[in-house]
Amino acid sequence: MGVSMTTIMDAILSAAVAQHGGEAAHAAVAASHGVTGPLWIGLIPLLPLLGVVLVTLLACFNEKSKMPAWISVGLLAVSFLLTLFAYLGWNGHDAIHLKLWDWIGLSWGDLRGQTLAAGFAFYFDGLSLLWMLFVTGLACLIGLYASEYMEHDAGLGYCRFFAAFNLFVFSMSCLVMGDNLLMLFLGWEGVGLCSYLLIGYFYKKKSAVDAGMKAFVVNRIGDLGLLMGMLLTFTTFGTLQYDALFNQIHTGLTAGGTPLSQTWQVWAIPLLLMGGAFGKSAQLFFYVWLPDAMEGPTPVSALIHAATMVTAGVYLVARMMPLYLADPAHIALTAVTWGGAITAFWSATIAVAQFDIKRIMGYSTISQLGYMFAGLGVLATTGGVFHVFTHAFFKATLFLSCGAVMHGFAGQLDMRKLSGLWSINGFRVVVIAMLIGCLNLSGFPFTGGYFSKDMIIAEAFVTPDSVIAGSSWAGWLLLLTAGMTAYYTFRVFFRVFVGPVVYEPGEDLHAHDDHEHADAHGHGHGHDDAHDHAAEHFHPHGPKWAINLVLTLLSVGCILSAGLYFLGDHHGWAGGMVHASSAVVDTHAVEGGEEALLFGQPPHEIMFYISAVFGFGGILLAAWFHGPKGIAGLLIGGRTTAAEVRMDPIAKALRPISTWAVRKWYVDEFYHLVLVTPLKIFAHLFHWFDKLIVDGLVNFFGATPRVSSDAIGESTQTGVLHDYALRMVAGIAVVLVVVVLVLF
Amino acid sequence: MTDKLALVWPEIWLFVTTCVVMVVGLSPDLRVRKLCGWISALGLVVAIGAAVPVAHAGGLFPSITPYAKGMIGVVGLMLLPLLAGTVDRDLDAAIESGKATFSALRSNRAEFYAFFLFSLTGLMLTASADDLIWLFLALELTSLPTYIMVTISTRGTRSQEAGVKYFFLGALGAAIFLYGFALIYGATGTTDLAEIAAAFRAQSEAGGLNTIGVAGLAVALIGLCFKIAAVPMHMYAADVYQGAASGVSAMLAFVPKTAGFLAIIMLCGAVGWTHGATHDSLPAPIYILLWVIAAATMFTGNLLAIRQSSVKRILAYSSVAHSGYMLVGVIAGPGSGHGTFWDNGIAAVLFYLLTYGVTNVGTFAVLASIQKPNGEEADDIADIRGLHGTRPHLAGAMLLCVLSLLGMPPLLGFFGKVGLFTSAISAGEIPLVIVLGLNSAIAAFYYLRIARAAYLEPADEHVETRAGPIPQRVFAAVLSASAVVLLLTVAQMLMERSVTASGYHAPHAGMADTPHEALDLTRADD
Repeated sequence: MGVSMTTIMDAILSAAVAQHGGEAAHAAVAASHGVTGPLWIGLIPLLPLLGVVLVTLLACFNEKSKMPAWISVGLLAVSFLLTLFAYLGWNGHDAIHLKLWDWIGLSWGDLRGQTLAAGFAFYFDGLSLLWMLFVTGLACLIGLYASEYMEHDAGLGYCRFFAAFNLFVFSMSCLVMGDNLLMLFLGWEGVGLCSYLLIGYFYKKKSAVDAGMKAFVVNRIGDLGLLMGMLLTFTTFGTLQYDALFNQIHTGLTAGGTPLSQTWQVWAIPLLLMGGAFGKSAQLFFYVWLPDAMEGPTPVSALIHAATMVTAGVYLVARMMPLYLADPAHIALTAVTWGGAITAFWSATIAVAQFDIKRIMGYSTISQLGYMFAGLGVLATTGGVFHVFTHAFFKATLFLSCGAVMHGFAGQLDMRKLSGLWSINGFRVVVIAMLIGCLNLSGFPFTGGYFSKDMIIAEAFVTPDSVIAGSSWAGWLLLLTAGMTAYYTFRVFFRVFVGPVVYEPGEDLHAHDDHEHADAHGHGHGHDDAHDHAAEHFHPHGPKWAINLVLTLLSVGCILSAGLYFLGDHHGWAGGMVHASSAVVDTHAVEGGEEALLFGQPPHEIMFYISAVFGFGGILLAAWFHGPKGIAGLLIGGRTTAAEVRMDPIAKALRPISTWAVRKWYVDEFYHLVLVTPLKIFAHLFHWFDKLIVDGLVNFFGATPRVSSDAIGESTQTGVLHDYALRMVAGIAVVLVVVVLVLF
Repeated sequence: MTDKLALVWPEIWLFVTTCVVMVVGLSPDLRVRKLCGWISALGLVVAIGAAVPVAHAGGLFPSITPYAKGMIGVVGLMLLPLLAGTVDRDLDAAIESGKATFSALRSNRAEFYAFFLFSLTGLMLTASADDLIWLFLALELTSLPTYIMVTISTRGTRSQEAGVKYFFLGALGAAIFLYGFALIYGATGTTDLAEIAAAFRAQSEAGGLNTIGVAGLAVALIGLCFKIAAVPMHMYAADVYQGAASGVSAMLAFVPKTAGFLAIIMLCGAVGWTHGATHDSLPAPIYILLWVIAAATMFTGNLLAIRQSSVKRILAYSSVAHSGYMLVGVIAGPGSGHGTFWDNGIAAVLFYLLTYGVTNVGTFAVLASIQKPNGEEADDIADIRGLHGTRPHLAGAMLLCVLSLLGMPPLLGFFGKVGLFTSAISAGEIPLVIVLGLNSAIAAFYYLRIARAAYLEPADEHVETRAGPIPQRVFAAVLSASAVVLLLTVAQMLMERSVTASGYHAPHAGMADTPHEALDLTRADD
């Protein structure tokens, strides 16, 4: 709503000239092409909204059963099926439009750019369809998973969880399906809100509340960029509706008729939008909120903070691709490339040293998001978008597997205290799912993650450095990161999922029926001897049918997603979808037909081998350093306990570096020093200014009405009937006398 | 006659529902009697359904009925859960605990719902009015049931006192505007509003309005000030709102006020915003009259509200102030008539009525949901101190509602107020806009005081409150607060509807000679 406010102020100022608003808006939209969709498409976001209402009602009636989960899963399943029908009924090239109602229509003149109009309308092209397919599909599956995962919290907490969960899907649908930037903004803020609510789900736990606050604040900074980008877009192009906007960009002129390439907006808008995208997708300076967001319940980490919400930034950049390409110098695209590549590498260095398996997955999410941005930056939109899709599946699988471990071991997540899950009853499905996820994440040949990551890295080498500065260097950085990714992924797998059976329960053991049961997880500290007694009687419980079913389905999804690479004519299915959307890039036109070579070979072909080498290398390193003795450690591992591995002496030798990596390069502490502390000092200064000067003025003006109120007083309010009647008549007389006096 | 019948289907449905409620309320079976509320709700839903299809009627404001009746029905539906149990709660509780037995002779439950529906019927009839006599009867049908509802709403003597005050002062107000109507009839020779408009038009083209006619308009408008609780007829408001049960107070803040504004808009429409130097304002005497009343009402309402310690009295005086705000829209008039919300004062008033009605329910519902140990509803500001700690959802509802009443962006009330501001600016009423802005700032004082008491102040130790026995009231509070937020998504559509509803069919002098043909012409426009 923030946008509408500011523009309304404009409207107030110029209301005197306000005239026919709607017509100019309709004229702008009339230029769009595409087909009108059936009304039931509107149900895709509205069903989850209905879910919010129903679950809230259940909360009002204090429902203690799993009803909220079944309602949510049912509605989300219908939502997914509708999306699927929309996809199957789609003609494959034209965007589907559906306008439900006029949402905002402010006008202060007839000219272009004087009407801010936004419909509550949906826009389905290849890009939004692809996103909606995995958003609704994964939401449905993860909702099913959560029905079991959150069962300890049945009652109000359960309802609260599913209400926010449904609200998230509604917001995400608005974000993805909206047909203008205002709808995107509505969804953008909506998912931010839900993210905040769900990270802070365990509101009695300070770290969770702080993490929620951190996510919210960091995202606000990014959102400022998005907001300014949107406002600039409006002032430059005179519209926020996608078709009208892209048509305008296509003409190469601003709404005022200036050639785009001569304006500063042509690079400023994409950079500002990039700021918003980086905030939401935890890139560059903004990444700090995402690891802490793992305080939320694991299904939330899987759905919101791995598969869907954090890819909203990627969606924004892909959606606005024409705007990014409009700049002949490609400043913003270069920034996106390097921002993504550096983040990918940086967070991989942190992930290598962590011990909390969920946090490692968190850092790997940041790293993979970096790949997606780098892909968009080097013009590999197909690769970037395909990676979003495959990543959604394998990262959800990984998180949900970790969640199953956490669920079974009373919140234990420290890899030094867990080992050999394969040999513990009831965890086989989890281990297999985890293996499939790990293979995908590390880019093992012929997995979905392998194909999608290769497309990005290869394109980084294909795109000449003259188009995107340093593109091939970014490619080398990404390759190195791919090796590190394989290493840290299998570090988790070799230590926790295979090897000798060792386990300690987590902090939740004593609080089995406590509110915080499902979450409180170990940070590698706080496991003192007090737990030992309880630990003797601790038996891990394997997941039940819902979790196992979801893990199985997701693993199948991971495997099938690789097959998508071979569908269609445009570099796989995802390429076809991108081709039918605004994200399509005519690489030949942009690159001038020039293709760089790598080792004398076309990068797209040789990359299959190079990246396979890096992937294998990483896995073998992990096996050597962390693998257990025997076949599960690929016969080269030597670990016989949970805590001691061959890596330890090396880490000890590199102590300064390894400590810094474990402490996440002290980035949080750095931010605290350079940002938070000065702000606090300013806050204190302003507080005194406010108290002494502003308050003094306010009190002065505030006293005036109070004094006049005393003057009128309640003396007129006697409560006596005939007094009132008399005063009414007297009042009439006075008013009439005033009228007569003024007139004559 | 039959053409008018087509307009009043919603009223007919409501009337039929009222009759059914009265009969059902006499049933010897308590469980059947308890259906009264549900039947009323059903009747309102049907009435809303019947109101929407009416696209175009005759008269000065040919399209006002679907919007007005839809709004009346929706706010009525929101008031219904708030009013539920007002008169029968104690008896039901006593019967359940075995302290009393059900007596078939006691039947004020049905009467209460029936009076509510009668009042809404009157309100809808006001919207349909095209004749002074119809208008008068509709206004009285709106008000008469409320006198009784105030009186029987609690068992205390204060509500009886409030009812008596309200009745006598209401009769005085009715007498005054009826006198004004008579003068208008005397000056124009007709009671049909369209014909009156044509007569006024002819007079002004012939050299000036008839003095008797202007005096009649002025007296009628002052009389109608009673309905909207504007200065100088605002005296009763605080005492009556405080004396009545919260639900009934909420109803008083919406139903008579809406009736009053519909009537004021029609009377102003009859003389037309076609006078003054630039032919775009009301005739000078009426303009000055409304200007003085609007400014005085805003200041009086807001300044008196500051000193109150009773939340109900605060809300009563704020209701007075809101009438002042809306009068600004009436003064601004329908603007150029080119169809945007932002320069159309009448559309702004119609939209504001909706936002005020929707929001107002929530504030009173919160009070009604809290009970003091002696069984009375919360009233004093001490009763809601620390509400956030004990009943966060009620505190949240209160916060959203008072912020919306204050006009805090981006809540619904803000959009209502923006319309009043922009229409007054485009009508060139800068001094009045400054008064409006000043008063919005003063209003922040007492609205934020309520919010502060609920959120920031600790509960008084010696003040004991508990949850009221009627969950429907909490529902009404939460419903109203959610509407304040959720209606934003369709605010644009509602604004457009209000613009359509304010479509003003300016009179022309030719109508005076052959009024019936002229009326036919307007219908041919359809």
